[in-house]
Amino acid sequence: MTSRTIILIPAYNEGQSITQVIERLRQVVPHYDRVIINDGSSDHTAQVVRTLGERLLHLPCNLGYGLALQTGMKYALLRGYETIVTLDADGQHQPEDVPLLVQALEAKRADMVIGSRYCGGRPYIGPFSRTAGQRLFSHLTRLLIGRRIYDTSSGFKAMRASVCRTIVDRTFMDLHTETIVRLSLLGFVIEEVPVTVQERQHGQSMHSWVSIFRYPLMTLMLTLVAAMDVWLRKRE
Amino acid sequence: MSLQGILLIDFLGLLFCVLILNLVRTHKLQGVYGVIWLGATFSFMLLISIPWLLALVTRLVGATYPASAMSLLAFAFLFAMFIFFSVQLSALSTRQAQIAQAIAVANLLVEDDKGLRE
Repeated sequence: MTSRTIILIPAYNEGQSITQVIERLRQVVPHYDRVIINDGSSDHTAQVVRTLGERLLHLPCNLGYGLALQTGMKYALLRGYETIVTLDADGQHQPEDVPLLVQALEAKRADMVIGSRYCGGRPYIGPFSRTAGQRLFSHLTRLLIGRRIYDTSSGFKAMRASVCRTIVDRTFMDLHTETIVRLSLLGFVIEEVPVTVQERQHGQSMHSWVSIFRYPLMTLMLTLVAAMDVWLRKRE
Repeated sequence: MSLQGILLIDFLGLLFCVLILNLVRTHKLQGVYGVIWLGATFSFMLLISIPWLLALVTRLVGATYPASAMSLLAFAFLFAMFIFFSVQLSALSTRQAQIAQAIAVANLLVEDDKGLRE
């Protein structure tokens, strides 16, 4: 192990974009370790990652985004990494922003830093269904933790190992609103840093039309469950 | 209920019990589920075969007709079973995910160690 920081990249059918993401990370942050989590892809993602000589966590079946990330966290904790960065494999996040997030952990004395598309007064952009959900969950964070988190669904985050240890055994999570609320209520410091996000160049988003209904309902329920769970634990 | 109706339902109930026992015997149904289904079948057979018991249950659940009381009980039982199966499915999915994660992590740890040795 050469670094105390590891970048986790969950990938599901990202065979077309993963090469570019890895090459840019190699150029921009060569001193950080990387591991790609192949979440049971049906395309050639695993083959591409192996050809590039990258470390691969190969899940034999598709577990979904949250559990794929959780796998990476388990590996990172076993290997003793102190800082864990999560980055999407579709090329939307800029590797240049990785050091920004890691530095912000120290500078802001935070436990988790979210690479945010919307903080700092930037408008919500995208289809109504998506922006409505993002606004809803953003306001929900204010209601539950007393502070608004603008980009609750960002997959670009940096966090300390202590945060991973807290959430690594949670079975149902997407590392979005429900995790932010849980961590905040447990006393972890969460900050947002503005980052640039590009539109995906290849492949399809993991959000299908079914998830337009399923995702908000599930996230809402899990967020309330998280808040209830922390409240009950504090009373014990 | 007429004697003919009671005999028919008891006969169907017994057939159902034989089917459940055979499923357990052939390892297609776990014992714990077999006991639940056998218990429910015997309870319904008992209710139908003893008129005063059915009348008592009908009064207890606030139904006007015995058939309504039976439907209510059957619905409640099936609802409880659906929740029970959802919990079982969730537990299985969790176990499957944990196994998949353990395999993935173990494989990479082995690869890491190989890489260090080479």
